[in-house]
Amino acid sequence: MTYRKYIVFLLLLSSFSCTKLDENFRSELAQNNTSDLKASQFLASAYSSIAGPFQGNSDLWALQTLSTDEGIPPTRAGDWDDNGAWRAVATKTWNADLGQVRGQFEGLLAAQFAASNVLQYKPSPQEAAEARFIRAFSMYWVLDGYDQVPYREDLNNYKLLPTTLKGKVAIDFIVTELNAILPTLPDSGPAYVANKNAAKALLMKIYLNKGVYLNRSSPTFAPEDMAKVSALADEIIGSAKYSLNSNYFDNFSPDNNVKSTENILTIFNDPASNRGGNVRGFAFMVSHYNQNPGGWNGFATLSDFYDKFDATDQRRGVYYDYLGALKNPGKRVNVGFMIGQQYNLTTDAPLNARNPADKPLIFTREVKLRESDPATLEITGIRPNKYAYDYATAGDQKNNDFALFRLADVMLMKAEALLRTSNAAGGLLLVNAIRQKRGAPALASLTLNNLLDERGRELYWEGYRRQDLIRFNKYLLAYQEKPATDARTLLFPIPSSQLAVNPNLTQNPGY
Amino acid sequence: MLFAMMRKSAMLLLAVFGFTAIALAQTQTVSGTVTDKKGDPLPGVTVTVKNTKIATSTNSKGAYSLNNVPKNGILTFTGVGVITSEASVNDTEILNTEVETSVGNLNEVVVTGYGTAKRKDLTGATSSVQAKDFNKGTYTSPDQLIQGKAAGVLVINNTGQPGGSTTIRIRGSSSIRSGNQPLFVIDGVPLSGGSARPGGSGGGFGNDGGNPLNYMNPNDISGIEILKDASATAIFGSRGANGVILITTKRGKSGAPQLEASASSGISNVAKVLEVLNADEYRKTLKDYALTSGDFGSNVNAFDAIKQTGVIQNYNVALGGGTEDGRYRISAGYLDQKGVIKTSELKRLSVNLTSNFKFLPSKKLGLDINVLVTQTNERIAPISAFVGFTGNLISQALQWNPTHALIKPGTDSAWIDPALGSTTINPLAQLNYFKDRAIVNNIIASISPSYKITNELEYRFLYSVNRQTGSRKGEVNRLLNAQGIEGRGAAFLNNQEQTNSQITNTLSYNKKVGADFTINAVVGHEWLVFDSKGNGSTGQDFTNLGLNYYDYLGTTSQASRGIFSFASATQELQSYFARSIFNYKDKYLLTGTFRADGSTRFGKNNKYGYFPSVGFAWNLSKEEFLRNSAFVKNLKLRASWGKTGNQEFPSGASSNRLRIGQFNPGTNAPDVVQTNYGNPDLKWESSATINVGIDFSILNERVTGSVDYFNKNTSDVLFEQNIIQPAPPGKIWINLPGNVINKGVEISLLASVIKGIDVNWNIGGNASFLQNNVTGLAGFYETGELRGQGFSGVRGQRVINNQPLNVWYLRRFEGIDKGTGQSVYADGGNTLYYSGSPNPKMLLGLTTDFSYKKLTATINLNGNFGQYIYNNTAASVLGIGNLGNRNIAKALIGTGIKESLSNAPAPSTRNLEKGNYIKMTNASLSYRLGNIGRSIRNANISLTGQNLFVITKYTGFDPEVNTDGGVDGIPSLGIEYIPYPSARTITLGINFTL
Repeated sequence: MTYRKYIVFLLLLSSFSCTKLDENFRSELAQNNTSDLKASQFLASAYSSIAGPFQGNSDLWALQTLSTDEGIPPTRAGDWDDNGAWRAVATKTWNADLGQVRGQFEGLLAAQFAASNVLQYKPSPQEAAEARFIRAFSMYWVLDGYDQVPYREDLNNYKLLPTTLKGKVAIDFIVTELNAILPTLPDSGPAYVANKNAAKALLMKIYLNKGVYLNRSSPTFAPEDMAKVSALADEIIGSAKYSLNSNYFDNFSPDNNVKSTENILTIFNDPASNRGGNVRGFAFMVSHYNQNPGGWNGFATLSDFYDKFDATDQRRGVYYDYLGALKNPGKRVNVGFMIGQQYNLTTDAPLNARNPADKPLIFTREVKLRESDPATLEITGIRPNKYAYDYATAGDQKNNDFALFRLADVMLMKAEALLRTSNAAGGLLLVNAIRQKRGAPALASLTLNNLLDERGRELYWEGYRRQDLIRFNKYLLAYQEKPATDARTLLFPIPSSQLAVNPNLTQNPGY
Repeated sequence: MLFAMMRKSAMLLLAVFGFTAIALAQTQTVSGTVTDKKGDPLPGVTVTVKNTKIATSTNSKGAYSLNNVPKNGILTFTGVGVITSEASVNDTEILNTEVETSVGNLNEVVVTGYGTAKRKDLTGATSSVQAKDFNKGTYTSPDQLIQGKAAGVLVINNTGQPGGSTTIRIRGSSSIRSGNQPLFVIDGVPLSGGSARPGGSGGGFGNDGGNPLNYMNPNDISGIEILKDASATAIFGSRGANGVILITTKRGKSGAPQLEASASSGISNVAKVLEVLNADEYRKTLKDYALTSGDFGSNVNAFDAIKQTGVIQNYNVALGGGTEDGRYRISAGYLDQKGVIKTSELKRLSVNLTSNFKFLPSKKLGLDINVLVTQTNERIAPISAFVGFTGNLISQALQWNPTHALIKPGTDSAWIDPALGSTTINPLAQLNYFKDRAIVNNIIASISPSYKITNELEYRFLYSVNRQTGSRKGEVNRLLNAQGIEGRGAAFLNNQEQTNSQITNTLSYNKKVGADFTINAVVGHEWLVFDSKGNGSTGQDFTNLGLNYYDYLGTTSQASRGIFSFASATQELQSYFARSIFNYKDKYLLTGTFRADGSTRFGKNNKYGYFPSVGFAWNLSKEEFLRNSAFVKNLKLRASWGKTGNQEFPSGASSNRLRIGQFNPGTNAPDVVQTNYGNPDLKWESSATINVGIDFSILNERVTGSVDYFNKNTSDVLFEQNIIQPAPPGKIWINLPGNVINKGVEISLLASVIKGIDVNWNIGGNASFLQNNVTGLAGFYETGELRGQGFSGVRGQRVINNQPLNVWYLRRFEGIDKGTGQSVYADGGNTLYYSGSPNPKMLLGLTTDFSYKKLTATINLNGNFGQYIYNNTAASVLGIGNLGNRNIAKALIGTGIKESLSNAPAPSTRNLEKGNYIKMTNASLSYRLGNIGRSIRNANISLTGQNLFVITKYTGFDPEVNTDGGVDGIPSLGIEYIPYPSARTITLGINFTL
């Protein structure tokens, strides 16, 4: 009988010694367990979060660049077919399911969240201002591409739908935010920390494009907006922190955080502290397999665009000597546009293609969206790369900081504001100052057309071309290898993945 | 007295008379126990001395005793539900016999999860596969033993790699997200489904996760029960929705110790290779295309250079015995299986102890102790599907230019020839310059005391611990011309451990009330704890010193080093459960089950889930109108309804979590980022299943079978939905408002065509017809990642409303334009069309065994029908554009249309193929030698072939394939991409008892 009692007791004991079933994370933190964390840790993540959409060959950069006269993603037989995604980007035949359209939208909004989230963790005034800058920056790009900016006030209740800021409401929100944080942002410091001049440059972009955001198909430019652009430029230039580099490619070199005197805002890439994104992709996406670095043999520019450059313009491509570069005994062009015979940068031996392996690797001027001639499909197209390859750093992360805002852009924006307010002469001075530095002959006069070309020459492959073409009313035109498109392509479709879950979004017209 | 004297005289007389006879055939007493294959005693078995009338039958403990048995006589064992068998006396006085029970044995006791029941009392849909019916041959894990053996159960060997993973679906896929594998329970120990085998770090290391059940030696398994409907699985609550597979290991038999031994040895070869051009064809094709380069003058077959004849050795010994009050079985197994691709190998060493003891004079106190210890040791070939455009060993061999020598002339090393382009990798170099090793140690130990409180009431306690440690190390030599490797080399060393423990208390009650009513009930409480941890390190920049890179990782360059460690979120499951089976007159049966599951994973608003089921069965054959039917022996109608759950979502999904990022010198602290939005309402996925079935046996038990109809409606479908941005990057786990509906019909039949003493022939088969449909999704979700150059970011499958899971959406290929040689697609290739489903519509299993005297032949076939498979290997590895440099698929030439060299190998229906197949899973011929000499008993030799032929129109390696193409955790189905090829295996085996 004693056994029985004992066992019944054991049974009762084990049945009622319930566990509370609390979940403990051991390699992560629960949100209610963050007292040891500082806002600066969240802020650093927020800075990293904008690297995603901008750096590398997909998403924002690809949509802003390859949908224009500046770049082409040729399908080389089967290579780069990728289910037609790149051709859809090139010909603006995208739909709401295209990965790039979705990646850009979600990447920017994730950055918005990461920035907002900093504000929940007791930031210092400057940290809060930096976070709000990152938020404004990502919201601005969503506005630019989609006209609808989902915005979340309460970050902790995922069931509350974000409100959608459209058009003017979004412009006002971003402008108000930027003006509110301006006094608190630092005056100076490294370009990868948001400072007053970065906020001013962003305000310039908003005022310059405001007419577009209010009426995309026939924008008008209000004189008061242009005046603001001009005034903000004067403040930035007047801060005396920036000057044009005599070597254009110093702005993109592995040590550009030291060398560049133009960069106002950058994305910090620093392999030593494991920070940074896929900046090496800018070399890989154009580089042929047999080059060093051997790449993915992908994108190219178009000869019409290449022909806009003067032969003496250093922006067209130079031999750039920098720390860690290969010996390059023939001093071959290694930054800018690569065209013609390519060489082994260690031995200077001419390179051959991979297939056919007995044909020399000569990058041709002409390139088609669908390359089909097996004799040439590997080698067609002029290959641009501004970011000198960081051979000195092993591994996938490279040292080049990614340039977001530069002095030259500020000067060109001011020139445009002057031109649009009938002060072409004032604009021409600014443009020629840049051209002189770049080794290009002075322009005799300034028109909308040659200003747009100059923006192309100065800012090619930096992710602004789509915005510029739209502002100059030329985005819908046909270009080499590219058909004309209708007005719906002025906006990207809202990705179906978000449309399906967020009832506060409506699909953009025509999609 | 007179009588006694008379008897004496008679004996004397008999002795004188039959002197010669007695001299030839002396008699003796023989006694023993008759048990079934699981070691359970069988009462009521008739034991007859062959060709005499001397007979008896076994008592309630299965024991018998016979006098006057000739010393060279033969005993015959017959009985209801027992397959007639014989045993030679050979002078022994104790003759314990194990007999096989027939399919129709309704009194057979089967495990049901937390208890046992008689088969006749079951109201649910279950399939039972006993050891004798397992697939024959060398298998590394238990799931392979039942492929094609049970209706409604799909088993796909995902890869041909020794110890590779399998896909198991019981009655289709009911979950959109991961977690469609059934729950496995070994002797009452429910498994976590995971394995401590770490993954590889860096590119090129074999991606197949391996089979988490590799540690279970099939030779130790006595039977597998597959629970399919809710009446059977609801007792497993939130883990029962995908079906439950109960594995029972072999037990010792009371009696003198018996040693069983078996040995087998076999060879295996690649069953089929996707056809590419040989050197002559290649040269001719170059000429046809007017290509001047690309002929290097040699004749090689690169696939021959990477394949080998795999040798398999498998040895098992088991010692069992004991008394009525203490039985034991201890077994040891050793398997060494060399794969059909060079360097790949699986070795397994396993030791298994099962024991059952009874204590106290009353024998009321019982104790079961089981221990299973296994080590698996793998060498893994460089065959990963997750590789960049330089491919894996398989694609490198397929693509290798057949006119280019593999070995550099004048050397004995692989030729890395720049003339082939810097990104062409010699498959021999890939083999030679690559190492990948994994070792997993596994222990499952359980101790289970029990006490019979009264005759009807028994308490049982079970404590089990399953501990696994795994380590994996690998390297790629700096001599390999792969991007990021050449001139540097790379290595990793990863470790993982898992500790899962279980406490289960059950109280069972078996009572006969009056003459007609019995109750079989169980209530219990269970607590499961799962724990997983791991760490690893990687490094690059080695020099070749003749040492393994991974043995001196510390000397690597600082910038190349990587290190990680993790501990999973604590995971606990606490449950209460109850089941009762009521039997009235053996005519009416009612089963009710209930389980309440609480899990750490569930959101705080939904901590406990409740899973009820009821099942009813009506045994018509016990009714007056059928009782005396000569035609119908058994006829049972079953109907059940119940709810089961699935909780296979990751821990932490219900709460907001922050990830600790890289250390940042700027802030002197790590970056921190919120990784998700937690969903406090998150709960299990719930499946309501209706099952209607009929079991029958007719024609004097010559034909038995079952037919089941089921409808399984899964709601609150677990899903990782796009999170409404702005939000943390990624997704949020939710219970979708949508439903996944699986319905179907399962038929299984077994016929005894010839039933005789010398000749027996059985034919069995099962067929399942499955339908799957998704409803209620917001938008659609893409999965099915297709890979290869030009296939970046390509997803071929969608989960979309009113279609089965994972349907194909591809460009529609309309042929090749004769003029341009370019592919023509519907709508210029701008539209993706619904193109079929990768889910089989019908599963088929066929089995037959024929025996003549001592010779038995067994054949097992399995087939799947109605599914479409994407031949990603042909699509992106062997396209026409390779010509002049690499090899192409043979199917591309001789078609009458000259495909242009620049025709893009784009993802389209061009390479979507019907996957219908029927396969000879195995065929076996065995001969029963019987007893040899005085000591060797029940000797048996067998010759077995596995995967002997496949009938299919599929042009790839093997239509039985499932290369992982999951996207964002949504699994894919039906993709073949440069897989480890399947093997055809011939094995010779012998087994005997001492």
